[in-house]
Amino acid sequence: MKEDWGREAGNIISNWARKHSLWVLAYGTGCGAIEIPPTMTSRYDAERFGISGMATPRQADVLLITGYLSVKTLKRVIRSYEQMQAPKYVIGFGSCTINGGMYWDSYNTVKRLDDYLPVDVFINGCMPRPEAVIDGFVKLQELIASKKANGWIRYQENLDWYRANQKKVIKNWNMPDYNW
Amino acid sequence: MNHEEHIINTIHTTFKSAEAEIQRKGRLLIRLRSDLLPAFVSYLKNYLDFNHLVMISCVDWMEDNQFELVYHLYSYAQKVHAMVKVRLNRSQPQAQTILPFWDQAGTYEREIHEMYGVYFEGHPDLSEFILEDWDDIPPMRRDFKTREFVNENYEWRKGREDAQDVRRTISERYDEKLPQFNNDDKANG
Amino acid sequence: MTQVEKETTLYLGPQHPGITGNMMIELKVTGDTVQRAKTHVGYLHRGFEKLMEERLWMQCFPIVCRICVPEPDPNEENLARAIEEIEGREVPERAQYIRVMVLELSRIASYFLWMGGQAGSMGLYTMPQWTVGDRDYILDLFEELTGGRVYHMYIWAGGVRRDLPDGFAGRVRRVLDYLEERLTDYDRLFFQNALFLKRSQGVGVIDKDKAMEWGVVGPPLRGCGIAHDVRKDEPYEVYDKLDFEIITHEGGDIYARAMVRRREIEQSISIIRQVLDKMPGGPVHNPGPNPLKWKLPAGEAYVRTESARGEFGYYVVSDGSLKPRRIHVRGPAYVHGVSLLEKMLVGANIADVSVIMNSLGTCPPEIER
Repeated sequence: MKEDWGREAGNIISNWARKHSLWVLAYGTGCGAIEIPPTMTSRYDAERFGISGMATPRQADVLLITGYLSVKTLKRVIRSYEQMQAPKYVIGFGSCTINGGMYWDSYNTVKRLDDYLPVDVFINGCMPRPEAVIDGFVKLQELIASKKANGWIRYQENLDWYRANQKKVIKNWNMPDYNW
Repeated sequence: MNHEEHIINTIHTTFKSAEAEIQRKGRLLIRLRSDLLPAFVSYLKNYLDFNHLVMISCVDWMEDNQFELVYHLYSYAQKVHAMVKVRLNRSQPQAQTILPFWDQAGTYEREIHEMYGVYFEGHPDLSEFILEDWDDIPPMRRDFKTREFVNENYEWRKGREDAQDVRRTISERYDEKLPQFNNDDKANG
Repeated sequence: MTQVEKETTLYLGPQHPGITGNMMIELKVTGDTVQRAKTHVGYLHRGFEKLMEERLWMQCFPIVCRICVPEPDPNEENLARAIEEIEGREVPERAQYIRVMVLELSRIASYFLWMGGQAGSMGLYTMPQWTVGDRDYILDLFEELTGGRVYHMYIWAGGVRRDLPDGFAGRVRRVLDYLEERLTDYDRLFFQNALFLKRSQGVGVIDKDKAMEWGVVGPPLRGCGIAHDVRKDEPYEVYDKLDFEIITHEGGDIYARAMVRRREIEQSISIIRQVLDKMPGGPVHNPGPNPLKWKLPAGEAYVRTESARGEFGYYVVSDGSLKPRRIHVRGPAYVHGVSLLEKMLVGANIADVSVIMNSLGTCPPEIER
């Protein structure tokens, strides 16, 4: 009983710490990358929420999918996501990650991001404004604090389902399999 | 005699089979047999000062069973744009590269090879350029149906067909109060 | 200790902070020097040209502006002008002036973003904070005018979507005054910065004799001292009624390209002021038929616009039906970002790769579309 209480307190503290230092992997996968500089710089200043850019996947917490994913990019994004250390969160940015958006009949972009990666928060709009981006991050912080942002656990548990979806669109799967 | 007419007369004296016309001021349209193309563009480049290769386009005329390659050349000195058109057989499209005259032509030819399946003779590297592991017919051909391809390969998200008010769905899901919009409560002012 | 002359392969991107956008460069390096470079693009391919063949003419306008993200307006302008040429539709004079104003505003916004990227690639991180923040003043103007910060869909066939709001010209003037004042700050912080001078002068040189042949356009071409600008060569809209000069700079290196852009910001500001002074009254749109039944006569047109990175061209073919037969987009980065970049990186330092990329204004979405 006492041990459980201790673990619970530890979780609350670590989640509190996590939600205030969200490091975003600097990977502009689509046109949404154009609203990231305004979000990060002087006017909207996302750093006051603890959101900051990070160059390497191994040190990043958040994978921000800025817009549509072509199949070629999806392969690299999956690789980047699997290199990230848990706990890790995915934000789908823009309408095109939700249902294809503008590119609903394009032969080269995936339509539903959550078939391939476990998405915690979607931000809709084309383009979402910087305020919307910050709002999405705040939503993610709330989910982390209430222990609902568990996409990475979902990914581990349903890895076979995700892999099957991924291999359906990526014809030539020549990537190493990570073993958590 | 202005630039355009002068250029057309020069072309007609050298290349008898080329059909050249003025489309509008500063723009020429030249139709040509495909085997003459490298000789013709090098003539335009070296003797008539068309030194800027703007782009190479390809148009699929499926009804005629032909591809049309359009070479856009521009002369900065005379401020004239020339569109050189050749037609290729659609069932076995083959053209000659113009890489020796312009380096950047290689990129355009690589893309046309990938998107239409036109083979360029003499091009050193026609490897895949934009697509990756593509095993269908080249996507820019008119007989490639992108919607059918999407239906086969990707999952749709439900809810696109029935245009219901998403605000209500969202508010029910998150137990939030439906936000009041301006046109809802005009009376409250 | 002797340097090991072993050739190593280095993959730069697609996930790399120094890369402009989403593309990859495969570098063969010995020590610190690039021996060969090969660009890999296609990460952003959406098949726009295919999609437009499946859309009505009117539905193409929301699509084309997504081709180039930092500067969407030249795309709309090109498509609108191509359609007008095929159709023979007149554009009211006021609409032409408004179009020029929008194009020049978007050019300034694009140059501000470039300044941030160029400085950031050299490690001067104050500049992005300033320029991207100042660029937002222009985006706010766009938001007021068109309803969108990034994608405007404002220019369409026959004119522009709506007239200027009340007092808009005054607000544009106020923003221009502010930006002009800020340029002196940027000079002191960046353009006269010793670090910038050291890393830009003599680096990434484009050979003047080869520049035309390689298909270089826009500021990189003018940075070689060759005076070509679509606005002067083939004046569109009302550019022939405005007073401006083609800005060139000798040298062909990163510094020359930066100076061309720096002076073009001032020039664009002066163009917009002239536009606001001369703008006549009248309608802003010459309406066409019902968009759902809108057929264009069979024909074709190639139109070009001077964007912030150079000549942006559209080749539009209509076969007389409801939908386009073919729309081919020529982005300036198509040549800059693929074949020219491969040539320019040979012999460069690894640290200069992203500086050179930024100075060419490489924009992957318009390479693969």
